[in-house]
Amino acid sequence: MITSAEKALTRKCLAMAAEAGAQKARISLTKSSMNLVSTLNGEVDRVTSCQDRSLSIVLFCDGRYGSYSTNKLDEGDLRIFIRKAAEMTLLLAPDSCRDLPAPDRTVKDAVRGTELEIYDPAFETITPEQRRAFALDNVVKPGALREPSLLGKPVEGRGSLSGATDWKLISEEGEYSDSDFHNYIVDSQGLVAMHSETSFEYGTELTIEDEGGNKYSGGWWTASPSLKEFRPEEVGPAALKEAVDQIGPRGCRSGKYTLVIDSEVSQKLVNPILGALNAYNVQQKNSFLADALGKKVFHEGMNLMDLPRSAGELGAKYFDSEGVATENHSVIENGVVREYFVNTFMANKTGLSPTCEDVVRPRLLPWSADGKIRRTRQEIIDYCGDGILVTDIEGGNSNTATGDFSFAIQGYRFKKGKVAFPVREMLITGNIVTLWQNLIAAGDDARLCRTKLIPTLAFKDVDFSG
Amino acid sequence: MINPLHFDIDPARLPELVAVALRSGGDWCDLFFEDTVYTTLLLRDGEVSSGGSHVDYGCGIRVLCGEKTGYAYSESTEWGNLVNAAKAASAIANSNSSYLQKDSHNAVMAVNSMKKDWRESSASEFVPVLQAIESRIRAKDTRVHKVMASLAWQVSEILMYNSLGETIRDTRPIGSIVVTTVFVKDGKSEISNASRSFSVGAEMITDSLLDGLVEQAVRGIDERFEARRPKGGKMPVVMGAGASGILLHEAMGHAFEADFNRKGQSIFSGMMGKPVARKGINIVDDGTIAGNRGFCRWDDEGTPGQKTYMVEDGILRSYLHDRISAKFFGVAPTGNGRRESFRYNPIPRMRCTYMESGADGTLEDIIASVKKGIFVDQFSNGQVKIGEGDFTFYVKSGRLIENGRLTMPVKDINIVGNGPRALADIVAVAGDLRIDDGTWTCGKEQSVPVSCGIPSVLVKQLTVGGE
Repeated sequence: MITSAEKALTRKCLAMAAEAGAQKARISLTKSSMNLVSTLNGEVDRVTSCQDRSLSIVLFCDGRYGSYSTNKLDEGDLRIFIRKAAEMTLLLAPDSCRDLPAPDRTVKDAVRGTELEIYDPAFETITPEQRRAFALDNVVKPGALREPSLLGKPVEGRGSLSGATDWKLISEEGEYSDSDFHNYIVDSQGLVAMHSETSFEYGTELTIEDEGGNKYSGGWWTASPSLKEFRPEEVGPAALKEAVDQIGPRGCRSGKYTLVIDSEVSQKLVNPILGALNAYNVQQKNSFLADALGKKVFHEGMNLMDLPRSAGELGAKYFDSEGVATENHSVIENGVVREYFVNTFMANKTGLSPTCEDVVRPRLLPWSADGKIRRTRQEIIDYCGDGILVTDIEGGNSNTATGDFSFAIQGYRFKKGKVAFPVREMLITGNIVTLWQNLIAAGDDARLCRTKLIPTLAFKDVDFSG
Repeated sequence: MINPLHFDIDPARLPELVAVALRSGGDWCDLFFEDTVYTTLLLRDGEVSSGGSHVDYGCGIRVLCGEKTGYAYSESTEWGNLVNAAKAASAIANSNSSYLQKDSHNAVMAVNSMKKDWRESSASEFVPVLQAIESRIRAKDTRVHKVMASLAWQVSEILMYNSLGETIRDTRPIGSIVVTTVFVKDGKSEISNASRSFSVGAEMITDSLLDGLVEQAVRGIDERFEARRPKGGKMPVVMGAGASGILLHEAMGHAFEADFNRKGQSIFSGMMGKPVARKGINIVDDGTIAGNRGFCRWDDEGTPGQKTYMVEDGILRSYLHDRISAKFFGVAPTGNGRRESFRYNPIPRMRCTYMESGADGTLEDIIASVKKGIFVDQFSNGQVKIGEGDFTFYVKSGRLIENGRLTMPVKDINIVGNGPRALADIVAVAGDLRIDDGTWTCGKEQSVPVSCGIPSVLVKQLTVGGE
């Protein structure tokens, strides 16, 4: 936790900034610690322990703006650092658009830092032995593949970790970590706010080899702000299932297919939209959503909320880096763009109404073209019938100015609602706006451990190359 | 008195700190002290009205016990905090072996190679540089809507000490200029990116450097407005000299990093000494090119920078090693143990990865040999799956090749392939090797500066995304 002395030092920096010639300033102290135990093939491979503290300092001097940070927190060092920072700021050109947010927009209800219930005091009591136990107890064990594979094959007995039959495990890396993060932010207009959170995480990456010597990798992870709700035991079997299901990929003819994209990767089709809604890109004409505010751009089935004030959920926040209070609200409603993300600087520059600087915890609501909500991936595959299920996006990009995208994918061909075979070395290409106008369905299966709650999605007529 | 080690630590106590870290045993301990100052200036909307500086200071302590690692760091060099970090790193070991203290006689002090030290410059010197970039770009093309240009420099003071009693001091500069230009024509926008980055001081800023950046910013913009997506599918790909070196980085370089091979994860595991490419092809990872973004006088474990032939005359000759993998394979470290900062333990990383020039004529000769294919020369991000060897990279611009001639401009496409297959499928290598000096950063677990290069090459077949 942030101590009284650290809070006092942070407030003192405001006074130092004023002494150095800053008419306005914002000081933000972050403090975190992290402990990690990783395993390789069932043995502890690495232990890491770290603590971080850093001050970020934003100065407004004679209409000029500068942003600084340091982790040298000795008071004497800080005084020199802030004086030099003010001197550098005065060398820059004036910018009348730079300012602190208006006091009536800043957060008032983040007093203790724990109001969002994502700080678990259990973090303070975990011992090094417990950390080792978390890491070692969740190593993939023989017989770990409890669920049937995606391809419906009887995987129990199909292969063993000893490599006796169809496939063998080449390597398995697991990683347990726990961390806490605290933020104390003040500004010269009276802002005082706190945020505290914890996170317990476990992930596995493994490589298997089939009888032909071909390698396949699988990975899975989970995270929770609460130790009680932390479920690391689910990770190993899920990672193994992902690897085994990829054995025997086949080519697939280029053409237009129905795309079903798994909730683990579907956020990659939302990220380009979030980037284009950033007021900075709009102002630079580097956004395919410039002039889209208030217009119906996407399919009416697209409803994207931002839910930053979801208590108990990973990534929830009461305020952004300017100290502006967050609120739960609609970003895209029935396909209509309701919001750009406009910080104080961009609001002054563009005349747009200021908002939080960015989306915090977006959630895409479930929807289906026929009105019947299908929550899971399999229900959506059943609904679509034929197509390609994408389970991984391995690279690619989207042009922010035009919305044109190209992504390399990995996944499965499905026919009549059943997965037929894995596919690799394929690409999807198109335009983000056109893609979202062809939305068929959005499920309700996003895992809460993700900060972006984007479910399994389905789109018609997507170009696949292979 | 100025401390020759730069850091606020008594040199005589470094062996004592190592002894604390090795109190429970272990084969190796190293200390990595870092004091980095990072400064930026940003031109936007015609004014250099944003800037800042950032200080990162601390010490990372690593204990190796066989192939296992204990790691901790402290953001303070106060003795008590360093001892706590050393104790945390010692947790990896559990024997009672005793560490024999060494005297730190073997000390190497680096000279500051900067001709003009960034830290002795004022930000006001560089404001006109960014303004000149914008005005020159605007003078070249009337369709320029916005120019955003940033100049960033960082200087890291490094002190390494290890359980052999070796002390190494290094001063590491990096300067970078990045220019993003938005062009508008008939209501449509196109973006160009240009960058230069070197491990040198402020002497990097010259008229010819700015000319090169401006030329890159406006080059090919007519084609980008005309460019379309090609029909996708498998086809021959001609990769232009320079930035196409991303092919080597993604498709081969990562798979040659020895940690992946030590764990049996890489598709190249078990291929040492075997042919992986056509005879005559040499692929190098080089930390010795002075001023290059991937230059390493020493790596972050104190191993001297080297030029490492990964593939020589088509044969796989060496992986890229840190100390752990070198010991595992019974070879000498290759100077590839690198880390983002004192907050991270070093792992095998590339430096400047390139293919040496070949003897298959010129780029024009290679294009003339292709009946139907694609030529690519500008890229952004890439990615690879180490086990499967499947790689992808994003092509910002290129052209179709039809009957041996460049035709329709193309853009915003992805190319995918498989590393070993693509390497074996390089069927022509021109004699025009060029190292690309852009701001390449590799993101394998940690971010480190790298660079890449390649002569113009023909890959027999790759999958190109399209309509």
